[in-house]
Amino acid sequence: MAKTQINRNWKGNGHPHMHLGKRPKVKNVKGTLLRIWAYIAKDRTLFIGVLSMVFISSVLSLLGPYLLGIAVDLLIEDFETTILATMLIWLLVVYAGQATAQWLQNYWMITVAQRTVREMRSHLFSHLHKLPISYFQKNHDGEIMSRLTNDMENVSRTLNSSIIQVTTSILTLLGTIGVMLWLSPVLTLLTLTVVPVMYGGMKWITNRTGVYFKEQQRHLGELNGYIEETLAGHTIVKMFSKEQKVIEEFHEKNEALKNSGYFAQTYSGFIPKLMNMLNNVSFTIIVGVGGLLAVKGAVSIGVIVTFTTYSRQFTRPLNDLANQFNTILSAVAGAERVFHVIDEDREDLNLRKEVDIPSIKGEIEFRSVSFSYEDVDQTLHDVSFKAAPGDTIALVGPTGAGKTTITSLLSRFYDANKGTILIDGNDITEITRSSLRKQMGVVIQDSVLFHTTVRENIRYGKLDASDADVIEAAKEANAHSFIMKLPEGYDTLLHSDGRDISQGQRQLIAIARAMIASPSLLILDEATSSIDTITEIKINEALARLMKGRTSFVIAHRLNTIRNANLIVVLHEGKIIEQGTHKQLLKQGGMYAKLHETQSGNDTRGSVLEHLEGR
Amino acid sequence: MKTILGYALHYKKSAAVALLLMGLELFVELVQPIIMAIIIDEGIVTRDMSKVVIWGSILLGLSLLAFIGGIVSSYFAANVSQGVGYDVRRDVFTKIQTFATAHMQKFETSSLLTRLTNDVTQIQGFLFMSMRIMLRAPLFVFIGVIMAFSVHARLSMILLVAVPVLVVVMLWIVSKGVARFQLVQKRLDNVNSVISENLVGMKLIKSFHRGKYEENRFQRVNQNLMERNVNALRLMELSVPVIMLGMNASILLILWFGSFEMAAGTAQPGEIVAILNYGTRIMISIGMFSFLMMSFSRGKASASRIEEVLDEPEDESIHRGTNKLLDLQGDITFDQVSFTFPGMEQSALEDIDFHVKPGEMVGILGETGAGKSTLVKLIPRLIDPTSGQVLIDQTDVTSIDPQELRNEVGVVPQEVHLFSGSIAENLRWGNDTATMNQMVEATKEADLHDFIMGLPEQYESIIGARGTNLSGGQKQRLSLARALLRKPKILLLDDSTSALDAHTEQRILSRLKEQHCTIILVAQKISSVRDANQIIILKDGQIVGCGSHKTLLQENSYYQQIYYSQEQEGVIHGG
Repeated sequence: MAKTQINRNWKGNGHPHMHLGKRPKVKNVKGTLLRIWAYIAKDRTLFIGVLSMVFISSVLSLLGPYLLGIAVDLLIEDFETTILATMLIWLLVVYAGQATAQWLQNYWMITVAQRTVREMRSHLFSHLHKLPISYFQKNHDGEIMSRLTNDMENVSRTLNSSIIQVTTSILTLLGTIGVMLWLSPVLTLLTLTVVPVMYGGMKWITNRTGVYFKEQQRHLGELNGYIEETLAGHTIVKMFSKEQKVIEEFHEKNEALKNSGYFAQTYSGFIPKLMNMLNNVSFTIIVGVGGLLAVKGAVSIGVIVTFTTYSRQFTRPLNDLANQFNTILSAVAGAERVFHVIDEDREDLNLRKEVDIPSIKGEIEFRSVSFSYEDVDQTLHDVSFKAAPGDTIALVGPTGAGKTTITSLLSRFYDANKGTILIDGNDITEITRSSLRKQMGVVIQDSVLFHTTVRENIRYGKLDASDADVIEAAKEANAHSFIMKLPEGYDTLLHSDGRDISQGQRQLIAIARAMIASPSLLILDEATSSIDTITEIKINEALARLMKGRTSFVIAHRLNTIRNANLIVVLHEGKIIEQGTHKQLLKQGGMYAKLHETQSGNDTRGSVLEHLEGR
Repeated sequence: MKTILGYALHYKKSAAVALLLMGLELFVELVQPIIMAIIIDEGIVTRDMSKVVIWGSILLGLSLLAFIGGIVSSYFAANVSQGVGYDVRRDVFTKIQTFATAHMQKFETSSLLTRLTNDVTQIQGFLFMSMRIMLRAPLFVFIGVIMAFSVHARLSMILLVAVPVLVVVMLWIVSKGVARFQLVQKRLDNVNSVISENLVGMKLIKSFHRGKYEENRFQRVNQNLMERNVNALRLMELSVPVIMLGMNASILLILWFGSFEMAAGTAQPGEIVAILNYGTRIMISIGMFSFLMMSFSRGKASASRIEEVLDEPEDESIHRGTNKLLDLQGDITFDQVSFTFPGMEQSALEDIDFHVKPGEMVGILGETGAGKSTLVKLIPRLIDPTSGQVLIDQTDVTSIDPQELRNEVGVVPQEVHLFSGSIAENLRWGNDTATMNQMVEATKEADLHDFIMGLPEQYESIIGARGTNLSGGQKQRLSLARALLRKPKILLLDDSTSALDAHTEQRILSRLKEQHCTIILVAQKISSVRDANQIIILKDGQIVGCGSHKTLLQENSYYQQIYYSQEQEGVIHGG
């Protein structure tokens, strides 16, 4: 008895405000539900078990109060102890059965739900790794993150409880009305009179809360933004002595939030009170009118007792169903977003036949390569150049000239629209991505490190490397000495936000990581951010060691690197405007020479880049 | 929790009304079964219609009274919870404004933001609930048992035994459950951190071809999460059936013994029905305990996170100092200054000694972490020295009112921070009362006026929260103009020209030199500081060289090392 109410309360997911917010939009409810079902179906037997238990417990929950009423009647009339005893034993069986069924249904459902969620999560995660890099450029990390966490959590919570709750609610609702009608149509009709009142009352409340919740959300957003901005600019606020101004502006926003929050909370606080009152009124109606009927002998006291329980059992599901509807809808919307990611095309969706290449010598040729991102103008236009094994190729040009695009094409993050890229004479699109990338090493500007030890971060370049290999690589990369100074040496735990070590040191570790991988092909992105001179010298040394004997593509900012390159490729707006060695280009007297002349006199590091940008 | 409840005391009248009205609801709910018993015993059994009608109406009247009470209490309870929320937000925010840099580092921006928003919302929900149901459920269980006693003491003995047992069982399950859910939360954090690492490092992972490796790693944390989740949920799901079975069994016992009492004539049918009714309702109330406890533990966690901020001791020394500054010249002396960040063993600055005459320009060079920014922060008293003295015009800065001091100092920090709003609004941070002419003057100094005039809305152009639609160099120049608008006597440039090209940088620096203010210029490149009156080289918090470009180049090997490495890069020969 009163099971649904307990359920609702302790799970806390029958959030009273749930249905007050905006209704989530789902494009294809049926399709999404079917896909969720495909996951659940793996545990079909267990799931059928759950549903049968739900059925059994619902029936028993109707039987309980009914039998209790009979027992009360037996008690009041002249009774025989043996009959009452049998009755009570039956009741005990019913209650025990109900408890068992309920326990089993939840126990099994948790297994089904959590397995389903695990599968979906894994599926989504492994699909992420198969997506092309362009997907991550089009979509914010935060958004993808939200799919894997918030949306999945939503699905998880809903699966845990909603399926059971909805079926129970429907079964109980129908069953209760049926049994009530059978016991006493008059009392049933009277009990039902609360339904329109409930509907009207809810409507009145939600009309008001809807407005205030929206307003509250807006004010909260504004306050959030303001706090974020002033916290991030804390030093500025202090430096300009603007504490008072900031506090005053905060007060305004705080006040606005308080006012909208006040009404939102007040009105939504009416809901439980309304439900409570309706329960009380129907209780009164049943006791009062039932009493009158009982005086006339039309119903028994037992029926009244039964009805007081039933009336609660029947208003609860109504409220539950209203809540559940939106909970489920928002979970389905979440699942739909998850599936949306899973439906994105994989990177290796290629019709061509690809082969593994065991090793790369490092001869690279670009033959009239053109490329454009989906919606943008052409980013590379008719690019051709050739590099011999072991060459260093410096890519020079302003931001947006196409330097990164060239390296991305080499890594096969994208494939060229026109033209071909040849690696050791093989068309790059006929080489599997996996074998290609196994031969490549990358050191990118914002050195990404993982939340694990220094040792494991370096080992990431070659998973089966021994500890000695790791140290060897670190020494080669000029990282060993600073690592030894860290509190726990190679076992120091790094954080992904980089609070433990400096930007330059991160780069040294990234170089060690590339070093240990011992790739035949290197892609380097020189740092432009301010790294102190001493560390910079170390980095340069390490890079020189790393590049030795490997074909290296360097997105170059430093004059030194550029000067020593075997080939300088000067890019501007996706086209190669000049290429050759430093000497050749100087002799040519073109753009490069002009820039070199103006800047070698008076300029900052690598200002070839900045000057081109300035033009 | 204590501090937060202290806030609620400010609203004690509203809280009292809300609690009183909750008491009214509780009362109505408690007397309902008794009235029902009366209707049965005096009305139905004795076939007295009028009794049924009278008591029925009383029952209805009480229900409506409780409803009105509930509605009214909603207003008062919301007043308390929203009021407390407002006060807490206000105090936390004001508190943060008094924080020194060290505090900000301790708490981190994102965590402070969560505390100010989510945690406060959590507390509000908790307070609202506690005034309306949190107390009601336990009270109902307690008083319900007493009421049942008043109806029929002997029969109620069953409840007296059953209820405590069930409550204990319930509390045991829930407290274990709460602990298990905390584990779930940790596992969830693990899953999230793997995901977020993968998103950030996607390009790298692909390049190293580590997709499978990462999938396996995720598989592990994911499996772990599932196991913990199943483990916690299964335990929690046990509570409802157990409580129900226990309570229903007690009800059967009441019926059984009730039958003997009835036969002996010591109990009325209405009384038995009333006790059954109490039993059922007590069961519902116990069922709510788990929900209440979870809500309580969440509220408590939030409260302690907020209190952590509120209880953070203020850096009192920063507020000492009341001296006004009159006619500041801009003479700066560092006398044996050392500084150690709280909680750190190694000092960030050690025995710093130097003197800058008014109107001079000092360059500071050094590696990352050498202490350059720390040194600069000492001047406007963003931090105070651990030992030694910083003197401005021969006055110890710690005796000067920080506000006064900061009014005379212009700072252009390493990391540009602009506020959402127009360019003019951002400039006015430097000086509230600046006229258009003054603004133009400042932006011209910073080489930004022409750019601004080229914008469609010129000085009224809106820039994003962090100046998103400006380039790095433009942001730095705007930040510089903002500082110049103060007409500062001391100008601190903390590596704040890094995004400018060499020409622009030189142009701006030479213009600044003509200003009548003392300039401290932190830089990476020798070219930026070579024209300074003196250059200070910092290494590991100590001065390892001091003098003009020429002297240092002759005498200082560290300086020479930097010089040659930068010359190789073609960055030295400043024009």
